[in-house]
Amino acid sequence: MIRTKGWRSIAIALAMLAVIVAAIYLVPRLRTKGPAEVQKVSEEMRAVTIFFGNKSADGFVSETREVPVAQGFEDQVKLVLGELIKGSRDSDKISAMPDSTALIQVFWVEDTQTLVLDFNNAFVANHPGGSAGEYYTISNVIKTVSANFPQVARVQFLVEGNQVESIAGHYAVDKPIDVKKWR
Amino acid sequence: MTVRPGSFAFMALVCAVFLPCTPRVAPAAAAGKSLGVVYADGRQTEDVTLAKLDKDSDELFVSAYDLARIFKATKFWNPDNRKLVLRIGNHRYMLTLDTRVVVVDETPVLLRMNVRFDEGSIMIPLEFIEGVLAPRSVEKIALDRTRLLLSIGSPEYNLTGIEIVDDKDGTRALLTLTDELLYHIDSDTPGILRLKIYGGRLNPLKFTMPEGKGLLNRVRAEQVEQDAYLFFDVKKTVQRYRVEFEGEEAASAAATGKKAPRKLVLFLERAKLPEIPGADFAGKKMVEMLDEGAKRKMIEPVRRIAVDPGHGGSDNGRMSSSGVKEKDVNLAIALMLRDRLKEELGVDVVMTRTEDVLVPLDERVEKANAAGAQLFVSIHCNGWFTSDAEGFEVFFLAPARSEEEARLGRDENASVSYEKQNAPEESGGDIDFILWDMVQNEYLTESSDLAEMVQREMGTSLGIRNRGVKQTGLRVLKGLKMPGVLIEAAFLSNPKEEQLLLSPEFRERFIESAIEAIRKFQGRYPGKG
Repeated sequence: MIRTKGWRSIAIALAMLAVIVAAIYLVPRLRTKGPAEVQKVSEEMRAVTIFFGNKSADGFVSETREVPVAQGFEDQVKLVLGELIKGSRDSDKISAMPDSTALIQVFWVEDTQTLVLDFNNAFVANHPGGSAGEYYTISNVIKTVSANFPQVARVQFLVEGNQVESIAGHYAVDKPIDVKKWR
Repeated sequence: MTVRPGSFAFMALVCAVFLPCTPRVAPAAAAGKSLGVVYADGRQTEDVTLAKLDKDSDELFVSAYDLARIFKATKFWNPDNRKLVLRIGNHRYMLTLDTRVVVVDETPVLLRMNVRFDEGSIMIPLEFIEGVLAPRSVEKIALDRTRLLLSIGSPEYNLTGIEIVDDKDGTRALLTLTDELLYHIDSDTPGILRLKIYGGRLNPLKFTMPEGKGLLNRVRAEQVEQDAYLFFDVKKTVQRYRVEFEGEEAASAAATGKKAPRKLVLFLERAKLPEIPGADFAGKKMVEMLDEGAKRKMIEPVRRIAVDPGHGGSDNGRMSSSGVKEKDVNLAIALMLRDRLKEELGVDVVMTRTEDVLVPLDERVEKANAAGAQLFVSIHCNGWFTSDAEGFEVFFLAPARSEEEARLGRDENASVSYEKQNAPEESGGDIDFILWDMVQNEYLTESSDLAEMVQREMGTSLGIRNRGVKQTGLRVLKGLKMPGVLIEAAFLSNPKEEQLLLSPEFRERFIESAIEAIRKFQGRYPGKG
């Protein structure tokens, strides 16, 4: 009995010591949780705004994110629209990008200030339809592009390299869309 | 030996319980202060935490992380020389920790306080925004220290001013617009004229006038999504009203491609009671006033209507989660509408499709044009990415396809004006309104009138959310040689509305209200015949 009691008190003492050691070791680490952020930005980062539709499809909601600064303009556009395609964790922010949508390539036509976005077939094939859905699919891309790249005057949608009449049968996307006039 | 594992378990338990309780180390001075940030570019207003880091100064600090987000900066941190580089607009700002120096492009600027490192973040005094960023920014940056409010950019309003002029003939409200926008006016509420300006953006505070002048009691303005609304509360002595764009010189400036501000005028005519016996006499006078050499044109009476069931064939349109296809619902409703239009209004109906086949959008328009239809009604169901969205909405075509086309359109329309009159039974309350309107673009006014009428009827009878009238560039309405609307009956992606779309009662209400709207449209545009 005595033996057991002794063991127990030693165990408790050990446990408390361990807690103190752990606290001494961990608390400063919690305090300096921040430096992770500082280290993270040792690569050049850019804050960008991504536009989504709200869940009742009657307004836009934006989210600001950080993306790495890319070498070229086209790559930067790809990174930014990649964030839109990824979607939001917030269930009230709907990207309106059909399942498995991918942006294959981006071209910038400087003469006409036209941004050409070539999407994969899923962009059209997996679109669930409905004019509200289609409106936000187009608008989220247009608004995200114009918020982050003011030099873009027009956006041309392509699907696997080809012009398409529309994405889901309501809005014409065969010609470049004037960013300022889109509403 | 047998005890050791137990003690480890105990330790682990203590650690698990103890650690989450470790107070989050927040600097005492930072408590409670936050900066409200208002953006003009569509981003939501947000609150950003501020910190007071110096006992001897009230200066507040914002983290480099928040600052970069607010100003869409690119940032680069070099931990070796403790330098942070921010690129905002066309300028490069280099800040060094624990110093007051900011190198702007090549020029050093001194802050009053050091840039600090606190709780894992680089903290920058607000003075940096006020004194360094704001003077160099293309965008307007305004920091209100007392309210702790930061506003970035100025919203681009295209409705910039309102002026009320009163004279012996009546009262005029002159609205200044930077673009020629489409409008719609109605007097559904007695004593209130509601002017909706499609695509209008205004500052409601600037346009709201609690005290009116002349025949105006007051003016209230609202911004609802993409459109601007003005509510004119008018006196009972208003005999008639009309709305038009003012000024030939402005119109010609616009025609030559120059962007000139335009004045949209609401004219309220003072009743000269009791000398004027009826609206007829006064009406003639008004026609003379408006006409001034312009040829008048009236649209044909509505005798043939094109009904367009959306999608079809390989194009299912929206599919509900239970497998109901939009193309089938559209066709069923459209066929019902065809039969009832014939029965109740005695009109001819041209269908763009009567079977489950794919008809290209251009072909639908051609069919209606070739048949000489005087109205085009497209029937659709809506769809969204989640089941949340609900309600019906009505579309008509946006004007101005391109600047060139818009210019040509304006020239064509310069010689065309329409005259319309409210049917006497539509006038509200004591006010005997007669609506006079000038055409803005061929069929656009009629299309928007029809859209508003459909929306009003359906709003009272469908019993689902009224999402309103929208003006967008819907492909199917392009190239129509007649007024046209597209109705999104309800959301197939919403299970409740899917059931409604399948129910005979809902379809009946839909058909009834569509017919009622068309009947009212016929009443407003009786044509020559």
